[in-house]
Amino acid sequence: MKQYFKDTWDGIWTVLIGMKITFKHLFTPAVTIQYPDVKVKLPDRVRNRLYVNIDDCIGCDQCSRACPVSCIEIETVKGVPGEDLGTTSNGKKKALWVTKFNIDFAKCCYCQLCVFPCPTECIYMTDIYEFSEYDRNNFVYNFSALTKEEINQKKTNFEKFQAEKEAQKAAAAAKPKTDTPPAAPN
Amino acid sequence: MALKTEHMVLNMGPQHPSTHGVLRLELELEGELIKKVVPHIGYLHRCFEKHAEAMQYNQIIPYTDRMDYLASMYNNFGYVIAVEKLLGIEVPERVQYIRVIMGELQRIASHLVALGTYGLDIGAFTPFLYLFRDREKILTLFEMTCGARLLYNYMWVGGLSHDIHPDFQRMTKEFVNYFKPTIVELDNLLSYNKIFIERTANIGILPIDTAINYGVTGPMLRGSGIKFDLRKDDPYSIYDRFDFDIPVGKGIYGTVGDCWDRYYVRVREMEQSLRIIEQAIDNIPEGDVQSAIPKRIKPPKGTVYTRVENPRGELGYFIISDGNTNPFRVKVRAPSFVNLEVMGELCKGHLVADVIAILGSVDIVLGEVDR
Ligand code: SF4
Ligand code: SF4
Repeated sequence: MKQYFKDTWDGIWTVLIGMKITFKHLFTPAVTIQYPDVKVKLPDRVRNRLYVNIDDCIGCDQCSRACPVSCIEIETVKGVPGEDLGTTSNGKKKALWVTKFNIDFAKCCYCQLCVFPCPTECIYMTDIYEFSEYDRNNFVYNFSALTKEEINQKKTNFEKFQAEKEAQKAAAAAKPKTDTPPAAPN
Repeated sequence: MALKTEHMVLNMGPQHPSTHGVLRLELELEGELIKKVVPHIGYLHRCFEKHAEAMQYNQIIPYTDRMDYLASMYNNFGYVIAVEKLLGIEVPERVQYIRVIMGELQRIASHLVALGTYGLDIGAFTPFLYLFRDREKILTLFEMTCGARLLYNYMWVGGLSHDIHPDFQRMTKEFVNYFKPTIVELDNLLSYNKIFIERTANIGILPIDTAINYGVTGPMLRGSGIKFDLRKDDPYSIYDRFDFDIPVGKGIYGTVGDCWDRYYVRVREMEQSLRIIEQAIDNIPEGDVQSAIPKRIKPPKGTVYTRVENPRGELGYFIISDGNTNPFRVKVRAPSFVNLEVMGELCKGHLVADVIAILGSVDIVLGEVDR
C-alpha cells in the first residue's frame, strides 16, 4: 500500500520536473522556420544539383567513369584538323565536340565523386535543391550546347574526314600490294 | 469441457510506426502474452555486397553511407580503414584526428535519434523534438564540412574529401558546451521519469550469456553489464590516445540488462563522446588531408577484416582482393542485423505493448539490417 502511494507520488513528481523543463522551453525562441517562405542559408560546400559549364568541358569522360551509378552519359565527336574548337578557361586545348552530355538526376546520388577528377573544374555542385518534377524523364538534363543540326554536321564532317583518311590509307596500302598478295580467305 | 484455444499470429509491420523502418515481426500470441517472435527482414535489401563487387574501391564509399544511414560517417570510417590496411597506407595525423571527431559527433547524432524515437515509441513526444533540435546542430557541422547532411562520402581511402571548415573547431566547441547541460535536461525529462521507468525497467532483460551466445555488441552488450568497447579493447585509428570511460548497465531501476539499462548506456555514451571530442578538437595537427590519397586503388591479393565500434555495435568489413581495382568480395558484419536476432529471446513472456519498448531499445536501422 505504501509502495503504491510512493509510486503514484513519484509519477506525479517526475512528470512535474519534466513539465518544468518544457515550461522553460516555452519561452525560448522557436528553432523551426516556415520553410517555403523562409529558407536557411546553405553553406558554400553544399552538394546539390550538378552544373556543367560546357564551354570548359573537354569531353574527357573522366567524370562519367568516376560516377558509381553511371548517370552521366557523354558522347563526343573528334574535331577535324583546321577546325577551331577553342580553349578552356584554364588553357587546355579542346579536341572533341561534346555532342551529348546528359546527367540523370533521378539516378544521381550527389556523392560528388564526379567533381574531383575533372581536369578543367567545369562540373560542380550548386545550391539548387528545389527541382522536383512530375515526370522522371524531366530529370535528364542535357548540358551539351550543340543543336541537332550542328551535331549532325560535326558527325558528317568527321565521317568525311575519316573516309578521306581511309581512302588515303587504302591508296598508300594499294601501292606495295602487288608484290605481296594477301592470303586468300578459304 | 475446457474451452479450446489456439495461439494467434499477428504481423507487426512492415508498415508500422514503431518498427523503425520496414521490419515485419511475426508475433505468436497467447492472449496478450508473447510466445514467439520471428523477425522477417529483407524489405530494404539493396544488394550492397553484390554491388560492391562491381565497383572500384572508392566508388563503394557512397554505398556504405546508405547502410546505416544514421551513422554514415562511421560506415565510411570502417570501410576506409579496411582498405587502408589492405593497401598498407599510413594516414596523416590530421586525418586521424578529424576522423575521430567526426566519428564521435556521428555517434552522438545517432544516439540522439535512437533515444528520441525510443521516447516517442514509449509515448514521450517532447524529448524527441528536443533531441532532434540538437542533432540538427551536428548535421550543420557535417554539412558545412562536406556539403551533405546525411550521406557524406566524407572519409576517403587515405584521407578526407574536404579539409575542415575554418569555423569548424569553434562551432564544435560551442556545440560541446551547449550540449552538456542538454544531457542533464534529457535525464530529468525522460531518463528518471517514473512513467518511462515503469515502461522500461525489468522489461526485455538480456542476460550476459544470451548476449554473448547471440554475438550481441554495442550498447546492448554493455547494457547487460559487459565492459566491451572496440575503441578500448581493439583500438583502431588513434582511439588509444584518448581518455574515456565505457558506461555499462547497472540495473539501477530494475535488473541488469533491461531496456532502461540499454537506454541509459546510450545517454552516458554521449557524454564520453563529448569527452573525446574535447580532447581532440584542440589538438588537430596541421597538414594536408589529401596527401596520402592513392591515385589508383589497386590493392595486392589478400584478405582483410577490420572492425570498428559503430554506434550500434561492432561493424566489421571483410574484404577479399584479387589484385584488381574492384574488390572480389565485400562482406559486412552489420551490428543491427546481429542484435535484431536476439529479439525472440527478449520478448518471450512479455506483453504485446512491451514488444515496442524492447524493439526500440535494440535500436536497429533497417538499412543496415538488410543492406
Ligand atoms: S554526384 Fe555522384 S552520382 Fe551524381 S553524377 Fe556525380 S558521381 Fe554520379
Ligand atoms: S571530367 Fe570535366 S572536362 Fe572531362 S568530360 Fe567531365 S565535365 Fe568534361
